[in-house]
Amino acid sequence: MHSYFGINVEDIFDSMPDRFRPEGARGITRSFGYDISGIGGWRLSVKEGAMTLEKTDDLESCDVVMETDGETFVGLNIGKIDGMTAFTAGKIKVRGDFNSFAVTSRMFQRYLPPGQAMQKEQELISLKKIISVGQRFATGPVMGKFLKGLKDKKILAIRCPSCGRLQSPPREACAICRVRNDEWVEIGPKGEMRMMEYCYYASPDPLTGETRETPYGAIGILLDGCKDEEVFWHLLRPDQLDRAKMGMVFGEKVVHGSRLRPVWAQNRTGGIFDIKYFELDE
Amino acid sequence: MRKDFDVSDCYVQEGKLALPYSYFAGRVGSTFITTLRDQRRILGVRCNTCGKVFVPPRQTCERCMEDIRNNWVTLSNTGEVVNYTVVNYDDRHLPRKAPFILALIRPDGADTPMVHILEGIEGDKVQPGLKVKAVFSEKTTHTILDIDHFEPVA
Repeated sequence: MHSYFGINVEDIFDSMPDRFRPEGARGITRSFGYDISGIGGWRLSVKEGAMTLEKTDDLESCDVVMETDGETFVGLNIGKIDGMTAFTAGKIKVRGDFNSFAVTSRMFQRYLPPGQAMQKEQELISLKKIISVGQRFATGPVMGKFLKGLKDKKILAIRCPSCGRLQSPPREACAICRVRNDEWVEIGPKGEMRMMEYCYYASPDPLTGETRETPYGAIGILLDGCKDEEVFWHLLRPDQLDRAKMGMVFGEKVVHGSRLRPVWAQNRTGGIFDIKYFELDE
Repeated sequence: MRKDFDVSDCYVQEGKLALPYSYFAGRVGSTFITTLRDQRRILGVRCNTCGKVFVPPRQTCERCMEDIRNNWVTLSNTGEVVNYTVVNYDDRHLPRKAPFILALIRPDGADTPMVHILEGIEGDKVQPGLKVKAVFSEKTTHTILDIDHFEPVA
């Protein structure tokens, strides 16, 4: 099989009997030769509104012979290549009367690749919807105290009485020491950027149902008063994604990241987005 | 478990989760909907092996596993109630205010019923076997609700 534009040269010839339109061939008695270079020859004989097709390399007896290559032949049949242009460019050569090939377009229905005819016709139905589901999040005493702090522009952390680490947002227990956290401290509100993730896929926010614009920067901030892994997660101001620098720790050596400060929302309701985002503290 | 927590900091945050989705009807479903919408005809498909006529149409016969997607048959816009239920609560996803009747309706010419809204009759008067006819909606939604509802044949 010799395939161009995803279509076999042989399929175009093989489908000729099915595409033949006797009414288009009325009054025509002629034999056409197709010499497709490197692929082979076909002889199409038309007589009294009927046709016969034969695969043969002997095209000498044909009234008219078209010489071309497989790609041009397929392109002509599916309308990708213009016949006159191809002829002028020397891609098609005709032995005999050039114009006599024009009648072949009347004699055949256009070749359609399998499946294409069907796809063109049908209107497909697709329904787009947004389901909205109401939710209620109970804060509990510890998260509630933290969120109320944000309402007052304070970032609170809770300290483990055993290992001394700070957690913010706070948890009721230290998961490492398995003891109840009890001591509250205020941290920040400024800090240094420790890491950032570029997020290219945003899932809907469970509080608002909205999907934030991408890419956005999810950042870990080491707020003043914290150390090591005690980072606080939030968002970076969207237009500063490429300006903020990450801080790092290589053993003894510490590379400081960009200084950041929180931008507080005007209307604070006791939610995590009482801080809109962090921005560069310049 | 300790129950003497200080609950003065406890409160509830109201949230709203939005779930965007797109439902693709498929080729068979699309033909069903567009015919309903443009020609006000209910289409089914027949299995040539067992002879069963399915509505809503489907691609494969559930019993013979036969490909039946091209065996379209036009069904009648009248049919009969196979069974029904009265919906007595309101919810945003429901198509009517409660109370309303959802019925399994088998169009004449089909062997299976489909669910639709039944109007023009009280819930306690419906009997299986009740003759009904389709009432098409004026506005299209490109859904099964292009039939607005069914009502008893007078």
